[in-house]
Amino acid sequence: MSKNPYEVIPATILDIIEESPTIRTIKVKPERALPFKTGQFIELTIPNIGEGPFTPSSADNVSEVMDITIMKAGFVTEYVHKTKVGDRVGLRGPYGTCYPIQSWQGKDVLIMGGGVGLAPTRSLFLSLLNHIDDYRSVTFLMGARTPADMIYKNLVEGWRKLPKVQILRSVDRVPDGESWAEEVCLVTKLLNKISINPKDNPVVVCGPPIMMKFGTFDLLKYGYAPKDIYLSMEKKMYCGIGQCRHCVFGKYYACKDGPVFTYETVKDEENIWE
Amino acid sequence: MIVEKTSLMEFLRRCQEENLGGIRKVIVPRRSMRDDKVLFFTPMAGPAEIVLDDYRTVDPVRVLFYFPRERVLPGNPVAEKRLIVGVKACDLKALQVLDRALINQDFVDPLYESRRKLTTLISVDCSEIMSTCHCNLVGGKPYAEEGFDLNLTTLDAQYFHISVGSGKGQELLDLMKQTIKINHAGEEDKNTVRERRRSMEKKLSLANTEYRRPDDYRLLKKTDIIKWVQEASACVGCGGCTNVCPTCYCIMLNDETTAATFIKDRSYDTCQVQGYARVAGGGTPRPKMFERFRNRYLCKFLNLPANFNLLGCTGCGRCSEVCAGKIEFREVVKKIMEASQVQETAHV
Repeated sequence: MSKNPYEVIPATILDIIEESPTIRTIKVKPERALPFKTGQFIELTIPNIGEGPFTPSSADNVSEVMDITIMKAGFVTEYVHKTKVGDRVGLRGPYGTCYPIQSWQGKDVLIMGGGVGLAPTRSLFLSLLNHIDDYRSVTFLMGARTPADMIYKNLVEGWRKLPKVQILRSVDRVPDGESWAEEVCLVTKLLNKISINPKDNPVVVCGPPIMMKFGTFDLLKYGYAPKDIYLSMEKKMYCGIGQCRHCVFGKYYACKDGPVFTYETVKDEENIWE
Repeated sequence: MIVEKTSLMEFLRRCQEENLGGIRKVIVPRRSMRDDKVLFFTPMAGPAEIVLDDYRTVDPVRVLFYFPRERVLPGNPVAEKRLIVGVKACDLKALQVLDRALINQDFVDPLYESRRKLTTLISVDCSEIMSTCHCNLVGGKPYAEEGFDLNLTTLDAQYFHISVGSGKGQELLDLMKQTIKINHAGEEDKNTVRERRRSMEKKLSLANTEYRRPDDYRLLKKTDIIKWVQEASACVGCGGCTNVCPTCYCIMLNDETTAATFIKDRSYDTCQVQGYARVAGGGTPRPKMFERFRNRYLCKFLNLPANFNLLGCTGCGRCSEVCAGKIEFREVVKKIMEASQVQETAHV
């Protein structure tokens, strides 16, 4: 008999970091290591509640412990936010395609992440940092709705000191009582603030659908080729293995043909931004 | 080969009762007691009539391989050798789609795979058609040419012609030969098979004269959305069509984990309800009924072929038969195709 594709690896929550009022990072230790490539996702089971697809936010060279950053957005994630250190969860995976970071050697890599879309891009960013000598530069544009929603706050200063790395952050607005010393604009507008070299260089977009849509259109205007624009289309996935068909759009499955797609691949399919 | 019908029934009974060849279960089409037009698959029991000379069953053979609800974790390996008798060509075609969907390089469904391996399929040519039958419009025939282990064709009231389609079928035939009398088929028998098949094809095409096989299904996607809104107006979104479709296999998972074990159950899902593929935050891929209605046609004629190189419709007509809104599948395809052609002309 073939291996059971739904088999779950039990895991324990080692630590919880509250990133924002609605986003937390859980550090989980699976009973056996779960190697993955950055961009791939795993299915996280909250016992007796359900399962959801999440992209690890940690670098892909660490498989014994995994960080997963999760926004409270629906039924399962609400329970993720009720978990405590020491709780038992389940993991299966990894699934799907990864960012082809090997093929980006010698290039200027641009990453644009918004809101909880910063989680998978953090994994990518950290994985690139592990081999920073291989790249000409790495620019990370981080966006959130408000300063309180901006995640990974305590990590950014350290990242900014690294050579070849540029980080720009923006929030959509600053509510009364909050302070913010960086940009106030949509994350896509940060493109105006950096020098852009679109020829044959990769750019990664991950965030809410509307940001991905307009971010992609802006990048096209700046001269990026559809084949160089990488989109992480992960919100539709469910079973993770190409069985349930929930994530099918046109001829593609987000879970096994993606979640990392180039815009070139998906641009002719219907409703890709929904 | 030819076999007397009464001997074959005797053989099937002995398979069930004496476990000939290690067969634990024989599943056959029977007539519903409530409605004698309805045939359904059921394990053979007692002397009740087995209906082989007729049209397809109301339930697709899919339900015998891929259950409406079952535990997938821990997965329970199936070890029961069984015979399914009376499968029609449309359902065999559907199994080809499911084989590619559920046993492929990316993923294997162990439950489906083990049931497929341990099941021997005896198909039977259609000797009647239902008003909704239209396999001829999707490249099918009212008899099986592949995908079976053994196939039966009625020669007359007394005899079936048997053909062998696989090694598993040959094994079963050998077992039959040890148990009951099997005769060689003569030239005349082979002619009768051809003649019967021709006459069923003729009957089927006469029943479908109003419809024709579309040349290019991509037109379905190009048709103005307003046409889909019109066609979907009678749809109540019950999902009956996907539940009886022989090729639909969408599922959802339920977590039933206990303190000791991770447990997952799966059940059929349907793209016809709004909650299908709903994601955190409440978004769904197709919030409007007509979008979901259209999706089923696009899935059958464009998406499944793109994934598996086979049409997702086998022409069994079950979706039309079950529809609470009395929507005729063929009619929708016809109207949408016509509308797209009118559009094309208007653009020229």
